[in-house]
Amino acid sequence: MRDLRLATESRRKATTARTLENPLREGLRLERVPDPAVFVLFGATGDLAHRKVVPALFQLWRTHLLPHEFTIVAVGRRPYTDQAFRDELKGSLDKYSRVLPVDRETWDDLASRIVYHQGDFNDPAAYASLATRLDALDQERGTRGNRLYYLATQPSAFPEIIGQLGRAGLDHERHDGGWRRVVIEKPFGRDLDSAIRLNREVGKVFRERQVYRIDHYLGKETVRNLLVFRFGNGIFEPIWNRRHIDHVQITVAESIGIEARGAFYEETGASRDFLQNHLLQLLSLVAMEPPATFDADALRDEKVKVIRAVAEMTPEQARRDVVRGQYGPGWVSAKPVPAYRAEPNVDPASETETFIAARLMIDDWRWSGVPFYLRMGKRLPKRATEIAIQFKEVPHQLFRDSASDPEPNLLAMRIQPDEGIMLRFGAKVPGLGIDVRNVTMDFTYGSAFQIDSPDAYETLILDAMLGDASLFTRADEVEQAWSIVDPIIAAWAEEPAPDFPNYEAGTWGPEAADDLLAREGRRWRRI
Amino acid sequence: MAQDLNGARDGIASDPAPGTILAVGTRRPGGRIELTEPPRPGEPTMRWLSHAHTIDDIEKELSKIWAQPNLMVETGPERIGRHVAARTSVMNLVVVAREPETGERSAETISRLTGRHPSRTLIVLSADPDGPPWLDARIQAHCVLPRADAPETCTELIFLTAGGETGRHLSALVTPLLVHDLPVTIWWPGEVPFGSEPTEELFDATDRLVVDGSAWSGDGLAKLRLLAGEYDRHERISIRDFALVRQSRWREAIATVFDLPEFLPFLGSIRRVAVTYGTRDDTGAPGTTNVVKPLYHVAWLASRLGMRVVSPLAPVDVKGKAAGPARLRPGEKAPLHRGLAAKLRAPSGEVSVVIRPVASPMPAGTTLRLEILAERRGSELRADVTAEAENVHVHAWLDGVEALDRTFKAPRRSDVDLLGEALEGGGRDPVARETIRMAARLTGAGAIPGQGRPD
Repeated sequence: MRDLRLATESRRKATTARTLENPLREGLRLERVPDPAVFVLFGATGDLAHRKVVPALFQLWRTHLLPHEFTIVAVGRRPYTDQAFRDELKGSLDKYSRVLPVDRETWDDLASRIVYHQGDFNDPAAYASLATRLDALDQERGTRGNRLYYLATQPSAFPEIIGQLGRAGLDHERHDGGWRRVVIEKPFGRDLDSAIRLNREVGKVFRERQVYRIDHYLGKETVRNLLVFRFGNGIFEPIWNRRHIDHVQITVAESIGIEARGAFYEETGASRDFLQNHLLQLLSLVAMEPPATFDADALRDEKVKVIRAVAEMTPEQARRDVVRGQYGPGWVSAKPVPAYRAEPNVDPASETETFIAARLMIDDWRWSGVPFYLRMGKRLPKRATEIAIQFKEVPHQLFRDSASDPEPNLLAMRIQPDEGIMLRFGAKVPGLGIDVRNVTMDFTYGSAFQIDSPDAYETLILDAMLGDASLFTRADEVEQAWSIVDPIIAAWAEEPAPDFPNYEAGTWGPEAADDLLAREGRRWRRI
Repeated sequence: MAQDLNGARDGIASDPAPGTILAVGTRRPGGRIELTEPPRPGEPTMRWLSHAHTIDDIEKELSKIWAQPNLMVETGPERIGRHVAARTSVMNLVVVAREPETGERSAETISRLTGRHPSRTLIVLSADPDGPPWLDARIQAHCVLPRADAPETCTELIFLTAGGETGRHLSALVTPLLVHDLPVTIWWPGEVPFGSEPTEELFDATDRLVVDGSAWSGDGLAKLRLLAGEYDRHERISIRDFALVRQSRWREAIATVFDLPEFLPFLGSIRRVAVTYGTRDDTGAPGTTNVVKPLYHVAWLASRLGMRVVSPLAPVDVKGKAAGPARLRPGEKAPLHRGLAAKLRAPSGEVSVVIRPVASPMPAGTTLRLEILAERRGSELRADVTAEAENVHVHAWLDGVEALDRTFKAPRRSDVDLLGEALEGGGRDPVARETIRMAARLTGAGAIPGQGRPD
């Protein structure tokens, strides 16, 4: 037995407890196929299911990453036959699949595994019949009692569905190993109170390790690369602190407006839709301490720690350090676009913000005194997500007489589009004098790896099925993020109605956003 | 393919197969090919072609490609100039081909990977070994637009044919043409003359060797021993054998059985491993069918479980041994009464190994079935993995009661997929290293009875 134990011990770290002990698993990580399972999709007739979830499942199926014993139970209110629902999905897939045209045979293969279950989310009978049906499917299709519940519904339906799942006993994991997991889409709550309430509702039914809260930004290839960039390279970490970094800018710019989501956006606004989740997630990945291991909890512990260190704002700070904006009419991509207030399903006197810029401080040893400037906006001149690390000036300027001003070094990580990393430094212009000009060293993902990156949803769905929660947000993380956003929203509520619209569509947001940096002698990076 | 490599074609092929190299446009003296049509995203296009006859001239041609300030495309309705991006390479890929056809086929495979793995590629052919020394090189740049709005990415392909003495000095031919500081991968399709001086010299500068053990002649076992020996001769080398990579879904299927907590302890008490493979040879004479793939299954299990070789594989008459009859599927004939048997020692006891042929329409040497028998505290676990069309099935019985039944998709992968995967994979692969070494020990390499050691 000793040798076997040695062989087991020499095994490198695996991701889940179960694979820990199986020595045959070594080196198979990438080839692991999830356990047989039923994917129970709530909100199956909705936009998210059609645009993202089903195309991702199809892509995983196409590349043989899903188990052979796999079944999708689509739950929705509207009546459909299995075949009618499959046909409707096929129509969406023809539009939204990452790889077109959709291979007929592959689709038929997956479609034969899709069944439709009609039911009202608040009707206990629907869950009772679902339970019976799932048990029958386990027998029929060999899915062994493993179930992933995916909530792609309106957020308001989350507590109801989760409660009903609990009452119908659909949450119970079986002794023989049948797992139950629930994937919850953002937004998770609309403020700290509602997030706590929702967490409590979820906690009544599921244990935290069964819960997978999606923030699809974390599934993006380049966001995951942030971790590799920071902790897989030795040269950046020593300068990744207040001694060398002047400030950090995180930009999420969208050229699109709110599209058909007027009603949703009126309820949320940029602070709830982006700041609370995507922007703070990016901030935590840039600023966190290195985790001891690469497992889900070690990683999330560090993320929570750094979000906890973000100074909560007083109303006065919120007024000074946060800027909100709403777009008026203008031109984007050489086309005229209407004002936010003129969009469908939007109040003509709406005070909802479509732009937010904030200056956050992280009170810890690493970052004390280094401002993090975050901005997010709709109808900006272009679509771009970027993290820019602005380093400090050289301590002593030797080349003051250079014709162009030498600028401090900058490291920019482009998340989308044209994913890559750029380092700016000064170089001598060839010639007799000493003239320094900024040049860039540019790495683009597209030219080094022309392998298609998986869509964020593919990564996340596969991870949830494999039981790896690293890229999902934990309950405390969500609550901590709300406790940063809450005081900002509260401070706005106290203020008189803002002078909206305050930026023209197709510009980089209100002037006040520029002032936020200008008053400290800085400016937003031109993107 | 051959005419594409030899020169530019005028006009556009009507419906090119994906990955086909298109030299669309006209070529002026000097190598540069001007496009008459805008490049299309995802389609590699040959943008440079020139010839040289000495290594010095090849180097000059290579630097010319990237020194051309005007190697850009003037395209589109607005006639916007698009700069060709500087060379992007993440590795040096050297293909050693013994026959011109192999060289052309390899070039075809690599062209389909142009976008995925930017590399400087050298395809080395030797010709007329007894004639006077000569060298002929075709130097090409292939470019691809990753997306419509992205700059072009270009890589170089050098087709070297060496005659006479020159062809024997592989290392001298290849080394000056490698891009500094980038890892070197050698892909050697077909038979590899392991142990010969030029080969070993070349491997000295190699980070990764890609071979296909299932394509070697005879049973492939002598070559396999030599392959494992490369780990000792070259400390840095990592080896990718297509034969082993092809089996990844089998390994996944086998590992699944022992993911079940109640089955895991049985891993320590395996008593018998039997592999059945297909052969076209009705006599089933040993040494005629390549058995590298079936052997790898056993070697993988044995190396993962810390087993050592007591007696290496030797021909046996299956009928006379305790191996039992293989269950047949329709269309299969009864097993041929020959096979190979070995004894292994696991920490808890002896393990008997049988590798036996069965006449089958499948390609010779394909694994058809793998059976594992384990006994522990009076209980018996039997696992049975079989291949059927594009699937791998795994069944397991505990004391005769079926306890697991799963199917894994395992489509046959082309050389393009396998090469792509071999290039994508990281450098180190301890599992492959231990498997290949164990496979060599199973064939008797360095085995002293009772003293085999796990890595």
